[in-house]
Amino acid sequence: MLSGLLTKKAAPWVFLLPIVLFALVFFVLPVLFAAYISLTTWDSLSPPRWVGLRNYGFLFLTDPVFWRTVWQTLYFATGSLVIGVPLALVVAFAFSRSRSPGVWRTLYTLPMVTNIVAVALIFSFVFRETDGALNRFLGLLGLPGPGWLTDPSLAMLSAILVFVWMELGRNMLLFAAGLQQIDPSYYEAASLDGASTWHLFRHITVPLLRPTILFVVVTGFISGMSYFTLMLVLFPGTQGGPSRAALTTGQYMYQMAFEDLRMGRASAVAYVLFALVLVATLVQLRLMRRGGVEVH
Amino acid sequence: MPDSAIPATAPAFAAAAEAAIPPRRRPRWDRLGWSALTFALLALGAAVMVVPFLDMVLGALRTPAERLARPPVYWPRDPQWGNFVKVFSDMPLARWFANSAGVTLAITALQVLTSAMAGFALAKYRFPGRDGLFRFTLGAQMFPFFIFLIPWFFILRYFPLMGGNDWAGQGGSGFLGTYAALILPFAVTWYGIFLMRQFFMAIPDELLDAARMDGAGELYVFFRIALPLVGGGLATLALFVFFYHWNEVLWTMTVTRTAPDLQTLPVGIYLMRGTYENEATKSLQQAAVVVSTLPVVIVFLALQRYYVASVTSGSVKG
Amino acid sequence: MTARLWGATAALALAAGAGAAQEARTIQVATHYTDEQVAPLLACFDAYEAENPGVTVEHQQTAYGDFLQTILTSRVGGTAPDIYNVYSVWVPQLAAAGTLEVPPQDMLDWIAASYSPSTLGAATINGQLWGIPTELSIYALVYNKKLLEAAGYTAPPATWAELREIAQKITRVNDQGNIDVGGYAYGTSVAEGVHPFYSQMFAAGVAPYAEDGRSTNLTSPEAVRILSDQAALFADGITSNAIAVDNFASGAVGMQISANWNKAGWQEAFGDGFADTVGVARIPHDAGPGGTMLYSFLWAVDSTSDVKDEAWDLLRYINTPQAEGQLSCTGQMMAGMGSLTGNAADLATITAGADDFDRAFIEEVTSGRAVTQPNIWQASEVDRILRGYIDQAWSGAMPAADALAAADAEIQAILDEQP
Repeated sequence: MLSGLLTKKAAPWVFLLPIVLFALVFFVLPVLFAAYISLTTWDSLSPPRWVGLRNYGFLFLTDPVFWRTVWQTLYFATGSLVIGVPLALVVAFAFSRSRSPGVWRTLYTLPMVTNIVAVALIFSFVFRETDGALNRFLGLLGLPGPGWLTDPSLAMLSAILVFVWMELGRNMLLFAAGLQQIDPSYYEAASLDGASTWHLFRHITVPLLRPTILFVVVTGFISGMSYFTLMLVLFPGTQGGPSRAALTTGQYMYQMAFEDLRMGRASAVAYVLFALVLVATLVQLRLMRRGGVEVH
Repeated sequence: MPDSAIPATAPAFAAAAEAAIPPRRRPRWDRLGWSALTFALLALGAAVMVVPFLDMVLGALRTPAERLARPPVYWPRDPQWGNFVKVFSDMPLARWFANSAGVTLAITALQVLTSAMAGFALAKYRFPGRDGLFRFTLGAQMFPFFIFLIPWFFILRYFPLMGGNDWAGQGGSGFLGTYAALILPFAVTWYGIFLMRQFFMAIPDELLDAARMDGAGELYVFFRIALPLVGGGLATLALFVFFYHWNEVLWTMTVTRTAPDLQTLPVGIYLMRGTYENEATKSLQQAAVVVSTLPVVIVFLALQRYYVASVTSGSVKG
Repeated sequence: MTARLWGATAALALAAGAGAAQEARTIQVATHYTDEQVAPLLACFDAYEAENPGVTVEHQQTAYGDFLQTILTSRVGGTAPDIYNVYSVWVPQLAAAGTLEVPPQDMLDWIAASYSPSTLGAATINGQLWGIPTELSIYALVYNKKLLEAAGYTAPPATWAELREIAQKITRVNDQGNIDVGGYAYGTSVAEGVHPFYSQMFAAGVAPYAEDGRSTNLTSPEAVRILSDQAALFADGITSNAIAVDNFASGAVGMQISANWNKAGWQEAFGDGFADTVGVARIPHDAGPGGTMLYSFLWAVDSTSDVKDEAWDLLRYINTPQAEGQLSCTGQMMAGMGSLTGNAADLATITAGADDFDRAFIEEVTSGRAVTQPNIWQASEVDRILRGYIDQAWSGAMPAADALAAADAEIQAILDEQP
């Protein structure tokens, strides 16, 4: 009965109806709701009180913690890219030249499918100062064992290392797939002309991999800026690591909302962070596009 | 919108994604030295990937006395293999596991269905607003998750007529405290729509028109003709979604804090950490973590070829 | 299709409503105690259910670090439990948010009659008593007698200078330069950093916050001295983040300021050697009258609960001694942990059977040296902020005076928000 009623004209709308409904309820409405709430003071147990831009003013002008968390979050997101992307590229290069890729692929993508709580708990033990696996290993080499999770200057770096560890498999696969799209004849032609390996890498591989690199960097940046479950589980206590050095804006917002019941200010934090992420993403896309890469 | 070079069927694509480069003539620089270096590098990296897991297993095997000992003991002398069984009675692991499986499967089914429907509509029909909608799905992917966290919580809480709420959404708890709260916000994925659209666009229009001329209705065309042709795409999307949502923690934790019966595996382990604050009892926590990663690892090992294809399929462009 | 959808929705709503009506006699109790700690109470719940057919009692456990968040989230989400066992410093925030139910008059009378006045103070905000005081925790200097003896000391320190000297003797560093055995230890959670600090302030005779809860004394010279002394321990390598209060059970910590509820864990770890190993002393102080901090929890009922009468009845049941000379259910749970309770009858019973460990803590209460931690506005947020700045001072990133000044500024802004 229904299939008879669906004309070619109406069909797309029927197919899209659930998606449109979903978009309205779970996308458009939340975005507008968050915008409205960010202009109020609301503890969610009594009606919201309109305060205009005061929340934003507080964040930008008064709150010492907010900008610190933004800086720390940026450090986390870009740090994991700066370390993770070249590492994945190198490993992908080696992977594409290896004789038993299946085995390597299995081992490298194991961390990728492990849940974040397990990963964070694993590393909360590995990073222990006196008896963690890492410091024991360093001790065997005669090196000092720093406080990965207890030293404020190392705390975020440890989180970065864990994140890189988690994402390495995925990024490596993406690069490997991109690498094999490169015609080997390019390499052969260039090496016949006497180009060194480094030269081949820098002038053939990297430019031809640009679309993949762009994809990895953009998605990695967005997820890096939003991530905080990792820090929540990795560092004991709720204050965001030693001296709050691993406090990301996401966690700051979450605690502000669900522990201090400052829904208005938390929504403002979400919006500011979102704006930063959006601007940074657009800048990245533009930079890459000027480099001759078409995306969508 | 240029088509990408993605093959229409999964096996072909999977093979492409999986194969290493075997150059016919080895370039001059690929000598034994490089080969050994490659192996060493990969082996070192693989060790770094795997050793933390092994460390966790060792931790699960220590006795409380070994954990409290000074100097700290690393290699367990009396491995407590029983811990891996004890965790099931100490924590509701089986329940958490069932929750994870049920919720993740439900989300996967919903996302695959909606992505296929929307992808098909965007790929194979012409209608006003089509390009706008497509651009919307692209833009929507750039919205980070945390901006939805607070609004979703309240939208679900004040949803009219659910969970004891009246027409205005007051009085009860809406969807909160039900499985719907874990599943509904994830019913649609913008990335999935984008992906399925790619796959559908590779189907020649003539095939569909031929069926229409034979009298097939649109639903028949979709379910019986188009969908089977993108089976590979559906599979890769399903796997991608499955692994992603099995491990989703933040939203689930927010919504199941006060509904312990609904907690999924990672969330349950995290929220139970108070019980294991005592150093002596931490072996059980580690055992629970090991057990929690096993099912996913096993599924992954069995299906990794397709999972790899799903990870790489969205990004590869000529 | 739309008609069917509405019909289905209505059916669902009806079913949900019917389901809710069936479970009207379930009382949900939320605490942060682990299964092991709460076992005596669970047995009591079973007994209560047997005596009151038709009533089920459920226990919800949440990790302490998440507890406030969970309570608030559940309240905000409309899925709140019926009975809370909450930390008293959260009461101002919860009461102001309308989360707590005012106890009925007969309850108030019963509480006033059964509980010692000092413990009632923790549960009273602006003259209103909000619940039944329960776990009473006091801070003292806990030390490892064996480690002190090995270093040549038979008596615990009375002043900070003595503490420093002893700690320095005990601290041992391994090959990598990390502390293996610590003369003195702190911890990583918010409470483990903030509470010793508060305790030391009370010992110095200066409360951390003003009586009216509208300003702080964090920039007072005593506070600055205390924090810089603490920071000096870190700077001089006597303690570090590598060694924490959790390591006391391993016999790797000489001294720490801890609360009495750790007793059960230490008894398990030290076994028969507990009495010979674990010593309790007053908090060292240089000037001032001496003192320490006590905090308590309280049983309260949620204001949106639909089983309030049953909830109060259950609370009275578990807080009344089972028989003459016996502990109440709550008392049993407390005694099992090594904690004290505000219930006068229970406290008397516990005191009668106390060992040296317990007696030292009880004395702090009965002598009046232990002062209740102030119930200030947004206490959880304030503590979190303070911990962050204490960390800065400990790590040497900020001098103690600057750290406390910055903390004071942030905290003052929050205290100014209160009505």
